[in-house]
Amino acid sequence: MNKTEEILSTANKLRWEVGENIHDSILESIYKEASNIAGQVVTRTGEKPKFDLDRFIDRLVTGKWTGFPIMLILLAVVFWITIVGANIPSGWISFLLVDSIHPWLKQLLVSLQIPWWINGIVVDGAYLAVAWVVSVMLPPMAIFFPMFTLLEDFGYLPRVAFNMDNLYRRVGAHGKQALTMSMGFGCNAAGVIATRIIDSPREKIIAIITNNFSLCNGRWPTQILIATIFIGGAVPPYLAGVVSAAAVVAIAVLGVVFSLVVSWGLSKTVLKGEPSAFSLELPPYRPPRLLQTLYTSLIDRTIFVLWRAVVFAVPAGVVIWLVANIRIGNLSFAEHFIHWVDPAALFIGLNGVIFLAYIIAIPANEIVIPTILMLTALTTRIAASAGAGVMFELDSAADTAAMLEAGGWTVLTGINLMLFSLLHNPCSTTIYTIYKETKSIKWTMISTFLPIAMGLIICFLITQIWRVIA
Amino acid sequence: MSLLFLLIIGIIFFVLLIFILSPEYGLISIIRRMKKEQTRELIEDALKHLYDCEYNRVDCSLSSISGNLSLSKNKTAEVIIKLEAMNLISSGENKISLTSEGRSYALRIVRIHRLLERYLADHTSIQETEWHNIAEAKEHETSEEEARKLAAQLGNPLLDPHGDPIPSESGEIPSRKGIQLNKLENGKFASIIHIEDEPKEVYSQFSALGLYPGMQIYLVENSKEKIRFEADGEECILAPILASNITVVPILEKEQVKESFKKLSSLKQDESAIVVGISKAMRGQQRRRLLDFGVVPGTIVRAQLKSLSGDPTAYDIRGAMIALRKNQSDLIYIKRI
Repeated sequence: MNKTEEILSTANKLRWEVGENIHDSILESIYKEASNIAGQVVTRTGEKPKFDLDRFIDRLVTGKWTGFPIMLILLAVVFWITIVGANIPSGWISFLLVDSIHPWLKQLLVSLQIPWWINGIVVDGAYLAVAWVVSVMLPPMAIFFPMFTLLEDFGYLPRVAFNMDNLYRRVGAHGKQALTMSMGFGCNAAGVIATRIIDSPREKIIAIITNNFSLCNGRWPTQILIATIFIGGAVPPYLAGVVSAAAVVAIAVLGVVFSLVVSWGLSKTVLKGEPSAFSLELPPYRPPRLLQTLYTSLIDRTIFVLWRAVVFAVPAGVVIWLVANIRIGNLSFAEHFIHWVDPAALFIGLNGVIFLAYIIAIPANEIVIPTILMLTALTTRIAASAGAGVMFELDSAADTAAMLEAGGWTVLTGINLMLFSLLHNPCSTTIYTIYKETKSIKWTMISTFLPIAMGLIICFLITQIWRVIA
Repeated sequence: MSLLFLLIIGIIFFVLLIFILSPEYGLISIIRRMKKEQTRELIEDALKHLYDCEYNRVDCSLSSISGNLSLSKNKTAEVIIKLEAMNLISSGENKISLTSEGRSYALRIVRIHRLLERYLADHTSIQETEWHNIAEAKEHETSEEEARKLAAQLGNPLLDPHGDPIPSESGEIPSRKGIQLNKLENGKFASIIHIEDEPKEVYSQFSALGLYPGMQIYLVENSKEKIRFEADGEECILAPILASNITVVPILEKEQVKESFKKLSSLKQDESAIVVGISKAMRGQQRRRLLDFGVVPGTIVRAQLKSLSGDPTAYDIRGAMIALRKNQSDLIYIKRI
């Protein structure tokens, strides 16, 4: 016992003598020894080739004049292939799951003499929500993620982070946030998972909280539909296509601007003290391995995210059906709620239907429009083809426009819905993923409520300005 | 009409927020200041000041304590009477000194304070100028057990980020070495061992100059008006009164660094150099990350690629391409080959 204490106190005294740099010196000697050994046993053959392909590509993709165009063109191509390519399989799946199996299932349950309300909860609620989520979510993800993974595998994405870092450094974030943000355009939950590539704690949390400002796959159709109806409808017909497309792009760009501004704000306030360390490795270029990439991106990203979405869609489908079909007095629960929040919602330029739709369609942004249509039909007493209290979509934009205008929508409502669709809470899949990644209720709460607060404030401001001007 | 109304509510809300949160006159800071007048904090702060005086071999009086704690003389006298009653200090005619119990109490607080500063420097990205204030507030709330855990977590550090030794658990601390910067002779090399972190205004000036403990300096001119010296190759000028807050130890002739080192950031594309050292201002996780990449003295680095916006730059380090931001490569010193 005495001996131990003696040794410990000697050690403590010696610590003052060896000084502070001991850790550095130890590492230095380890490296020295390692390179000595490597020098003895590793033989290197051949000189470096005169033409180095890696360096040539690097010069090209990080060049002052070539870097940005290459980046923008590649991104545009990826998005174009995703949006155009996803339409066709989406149609097939929707035809199969929504148009064919849904009525058949319903008929089956009726013929089995199952009570109508069980039929409603299971088929019109749970099954239909899942069918919708799968048909809208699966094809774009199955196209977008493999393409993204191919670029990553090839080694191009780290160069994008390298090029964008200057911008992100200024707002207190990491260059790799450019990548997680792009991933967020596909799916925010996948974007949040992708923040694992950022190894500095503060920058990772910034990337997680701001990922929701990338307009995800589930929100693009909403934006395009509403822009076509309200923005396109407000200008002369020959301009409609261009103007509504410009409006959608403007919303997406606005999202990027918000993600930068919010990153800056977070790094100056709540995240001021979090530890931070920058490092970025640029791996050598590799020919991508096609099959392996397809397999891993399907399993790791697509199926993983889809599964979580489906798990959340089931209870949400049940809830959606129930609020539309449980009656208190003469009106359904949904109608009571809509009438109750309508004054407040109209005040900030939205309406009660939108509020309720965003609350009950929290599992997936994909089912917001079907829910809005169902609720509008419910409150306006317009008979819907699918039956009362069942989610549906209309075949043409003109029909949808007529339905929404009957529900009291104006151009202002359309603009505000587009903004609110950008600035609202992430879907439940993303919220759950954020919690899994951060293990912190605080950051999950901030990522959930910060965008809602921003959305409400901005819609309110737009509405007040609109009312003053118009 | 309703817009105007809302605007007024908004402004009222904003004013209220300022009233509550303003750093000097806000409600929160007033309450905090009132809390500070509670006895325990006062006693501990007074003991710390007495210890500082003893360590720097200066005499300590009632007025210096009241100045340091920004407390009226009457209040200070009350605190001193209390301290005497607790047998922590003994006061002579003009001199107040610590008893051995008082000294070990003071050392305990000093230890916690310096551990906290070390923690803030290495494990958070809180601004250098705020370390002292945060540690000052938290030192009174930290128990000895917590301090022991913190020390273990930090790997029992020897020095705080200002270069002050951290007392060991049993209260051992090496005696003061070095001289004040304004007493260094012309043409001498020295290395900074301590930068006084109080008062705050002075310290923020040092941190703006980028001075840190462990930095090597070369004194160019020492006159009554100014002290001019080179620190890591850059010229700094300080007033002598400010320079007295910096402690240095002269470097022996044989260890002297004859040339001033260049920074890694000065390397042009395709140029190579040998790393000679990493600045002490590179701390914590960031420093470990660099060491992991193999950035240690003796490593050969080559500037390989500049980002399209000019920052960061990718370096070839031991066969891998690592991108470093300019504010990082500024802290790595190199020698051209």
